[in-house]
Amino acid sequence: MTTRIDRRQFLMGTSALVAAGAAGVMPAWAQGADLRLIFWGGQARADRTYGVTDLYTAANGGAVEGEFLAWNDYWPKLATQTAGGNAPDIIQMDYRYIVEYAKRNAIAPLDEFVGGVLKLDDFDADQLEGGKVDGKLYGISLGANSVATLVNTTAFEEAGVEAPTNAWTYDDLMTMGEAFNSANIRGGMKAISDSSYNEPSLDNWLRQRGKALYTADGKLGFEEQDAVEWYQLWAKLREAGVCVSPDDQALDTGPLESTMLVQGKAALMPSNSNQLVGYQALVQDKLNMVGYPRIAAGVGGGHYRKPSMFFSVGGSSANKEAATNFVSYFVNDVEAGKILGVERGIPCSAAVRDAVSPTLDEANQIALNFVANLGDLLGPLPPPPPAAAGEVDLSLIRTLGQEVGFGAKTPEQAGKDLVTGAAEILSRA
Amino acid sequence: MTARSLESGAPARERAASPSLWARIWQNDAPGYLFLLPWLIGFFGLTIGPIISSLYLSFTDFDLLTDPNWVGASNYVRMFTNDPKFLASMRVTMVFVIFSVPLKLAFALAVAMLLNRGMRGLPLYRALFYLPSLLGASVAIAILWRQIFAREGLVNDFLSIFGIVGPSWISTPQYSLWTIIILAVWQFGSPMIIFLAGLRQIPQDMYEAASLDGASKWRQFVKITLPLLTPVVFFNAIIQTIEAFKSFTPAFIISGGTGNPINSTLFYTLYLYQEAFGFFRMGYASALAWVLLALVGLFTAFSFLTSKYWVHYDD
Amino acid sequence: MTDAPAKLTVVGANRLTPTQRRIVSVLMHAALLTVSVFMLYPLLWMLAASFRPENEIFTSASIIPSEWSLDAYVRGWNGLRTGFGTFFTNSFIVSILSVCGNVLACSMAAFAFARLNFRFRSFWFAMMLMTLMLPYQVTLIPQYVLFRQLGWVNTFLPLVVPKFLAADGFFIFLMVQFFRGLPKELDEAAQMDGCSPWRIYWKIIMPLSMPVLATAAIFTFIWTWDDFFGPLIYLSEMKSYTVMLGLRTFTDSTGESDYGGLFAMSVLSLVPIFLFFLFFQRLLIEGIATTGMKR
Repeated sequence: MTTRIDRRQFLMGTSALVAAGAAGVMPAWAQGADLRLIFWGGQARADRTYGVTDLYTAANGGAVEGEFLAWNDYWPKLATQTAGGNAPDIIQMDYRYIVEYAKRNAIAPLDEFVGGVLKLDDFDADQLEGGKVDGKLYGISLGANSVATLVNTTAFEEAGVEAPTNAWTYDDLMTMGEAFNSANIRGGMKAISDSSYNEPSLDNWLRQRGKALYTADGKLGFEEQDAVEWYQLWAKLREAGVCVSPDDQALDTGPLESTMLVQGKAALMPSNSNQLVGYQALVQDKLNMVGYPRIAAGVGGGHYRKPSMFFSVGGSSANKEAATNFVSYFVNDVEAGKILGVERGIPCSAAVRDAVSPTLDEANQIALNFVANLGDLLGPLPPPPPAAAGEVDLSLIRTLGQEVGFGAKTPEQAGKDLVTGAAEILSRA
Repeated sequence: MTARSLESGAPARERAASPSLWARIWQNDAPGYLFLLPWLIGFFGLTIGPIISSLYLSFTDFDLLTDPNWVGASNYVRMFTNDPKFLASMRVTMVFVIFSVPLKLAFALAVAMLLNRGMRGLPLYRALFYLPSLLGASVAIAILWRQIFAREGLVNDFLSIFGIVGPSWISTPQYSLWTIIILAVWQFGSPMIIFLAGLRQIPQDMYEAASLDGASKWRQFVKITLPLLTPVVFFNAIIQTIEAFKSFTPAFIISGGTGNPINSTLFYTLYLYQEAFGFFRMGYASALAWVLLALVGLFTAFSFLTSKYWVHYDD
Repeated sequence: MTDAPAKLTVVGANRLTPTQRRIVSVLMHAALLTVSVFMLYPLLWMLAASFRPENEIFTSASIIPSEWSLDAYVRGWNGLRTGFGTFFTNSFIVSILSVCGNVLACSMAAFAFARLNFRFRSFWFAMMLMTLMLPYQVTLIPQYVLFRQLGWVNTFLPLVVPKFLAADGFFIFLMVQFFRGLPKELDEAAQMDGCSPWRIYWKIIMPLSMPVLATAAIFTFIWTWDDFFGPLIYLSEMKSYTVMLGLRTFTDSTGESDYGGLFAMSVLSLVPIFLFFLFFQRLLIEGIATTGMKR
């Protein structure tokens, strides 16, 4: 039995006891700007973004009032604003949540503006595709990136071990790890962090086997046997001391400073190409990046150029066209592109990319080259993950990985639990 | 909660026996309600609406982004029949409540007693001891706790003096909750200040009289300090327990919002938060909240009922 | 320290010889100092982190920075486009108003609950306690809708007005407990003399309750200052951000963060609340210390 009650009506009804006279005085700054923009990120991203909004206002007149928050704070706030009917006009959107927001009309399809205010003539086709949900364009990619293994080259030199290249495999990882253990540098630094519960690592490994985390219709894209082998692979690496111990790995709770790379406990760590700059700022050692390990020499196809983040237009925005115009300016204007650099990933417009690449510093140059030269590592773009992917990651992939690590479950048990648990979560959503 | 009304109230009613009903109401009730007016306005204007809304939402499938659909009691049914995480998070919170509250209160009272003595430099100590509570939910706490309780942390440095090799306390499932309990106890500043304020209200001449009678320090504590302090002890116990049941921030910052390792720090409200904002199930989260409210409400009502046997008021 | 508790020490300690007394005192200080180190350590670490180069913050084992620099302070103060000057002003406005609101409104409600008789008193008291028990995460959205309906979103009103309406039951309950500890004879005598309830509240109860009022002021100021969830939800322009919100925006797990700026501004953000504490704790100490008051 389901009875529909308009949410806003109800919420307001119960609060109607509030005297209307209580409206009170409002400071002048409470009056709305022409367009509201919200994004997550740190200081560096904010500086660049505000540079572009200023440029846009100077060129087009309309003001863009930007607000930025840390990732963890961003999502509750956006959800609250959306639920309260007060969502901003331009919303930075993540690959993980775009389906969730699009399916519920919290963000608007932009197809009607393509060719009009939204110019996508020299926009990368795969990046455009990545912003589509059910065939409709809901997000404009702000940059392409790829998963990448960060390499502490200084540590490799110290250990006298040859640093990996894009050709490296999981077998090489085993050898490297043993070499690292016998070198015993910096109080027992390990070769790699425990990536068994890093969702992109699992995804990449599955894709090399011709499978995927999720299928296009939002089902699980692998079998129990795959999951079991994955956990067995890491159990072996863990046993050999190639990766860090489970309790060390559990120190990594998300923030950059808690990761094994910054803590100096591992010389390799799976990450993203656009994060090299952030990590390099926190460590004294020299960092580089290579692809994720291959399952066997010559096998590729695990990587893809992922839209690092999107701009979407709020579903309830009163200025959808103006908002789209800003988004188009943001990704196409060459001057804007020079300000933005590759901080959000490699620009998707060819003209912007050409203008930007000569201006980059070393760390950014590495990232650009890496994504541009993936070669046979590159596979097809997967469909956007289903809405419940976040829950599968947090409730299953991370927890089960830790349970195997701490010995609470066998790889076989964990593989079984992953597949049955994920199926249940996906069917519920 | 009803204990209060039972004991007093007689004198005011007697006085107003003569005039008409309205005059009597005015005389008896009006002052109370006038003083309560700001709270009543706030309660009806700002507080009760959202509370009722959340109760309603607990019977819906509200997903934050679209309108809620009525689903009856199914959220509650799922919670008690098919949700291992509900039980797991309840267990984590229970352990936290049972250990952190008494430890924190005992520590706060002991330090408050110590700081209530006339000693040089006390304002400084008081400020220093309050410092951890000033830090609140600072990002620095998470970093700091890792430095203390990781494998190479201060605790293990200390233990190594005795030849003990400790684990990484903060990230091992068996111990991680305990590091959060220690964090809660470490931030003992608020109950300490309240105890101090309570100690200041105890008339000094009572101690002097007792001391002249030759009563020992311990006897003075048991016979004077503790009884007169019971309203404050009662307050701190109730409030700290409610706060501990609702505790969210420490686990959130220490585990980065995940409740890991292996859900060992998945506090009840952290789970609720994940359901609401991580998995878009605000309806279910509201149901979780109301179950917590029922539990804490029962506990509080029980405490108030028993309080008349041990809490010493002056009225 | 010449107030009453000093006597207690003298009275209690007069069986000891001066030497013994000195030993006790030294031991006490040693114990307190040891505990203080544990309390101080985070601050020292933060202070050190705010002066050292960014790439040394998490990698250096020593607490002493290899080189000292004020860069992070300059960068942090001018950071986040708006600058911390504005954030500090905002935090001050919100915190000071909250202190006024809480002390006034909560003491009135507490006076009603503790000293006056009226119908349904226990019912309202139970309601007040109930508001303490529901996790804020689930009332957040209805509350946001309500404040938006009132046109208060993106102003300080959602943060301040509830304080003037005694919305935080913690403080009411706290004050009730203390008011009930004051001798009943005071009110009764005043009532005999024809004092109105208002005069009893303002002239008798309030002056005698300085310790608890100071406690409420301290807590309100610090908790409002430290609060980030309210500002996070209700303030959506950088120039209305509070200090805590600013601090949380320094770091982002997905990109470049400014940890130096974070720690520098964290240190600065502690200064006002620490000073506020130091100032108001005097009231806490000057309390009533009622030697003359008969129970």
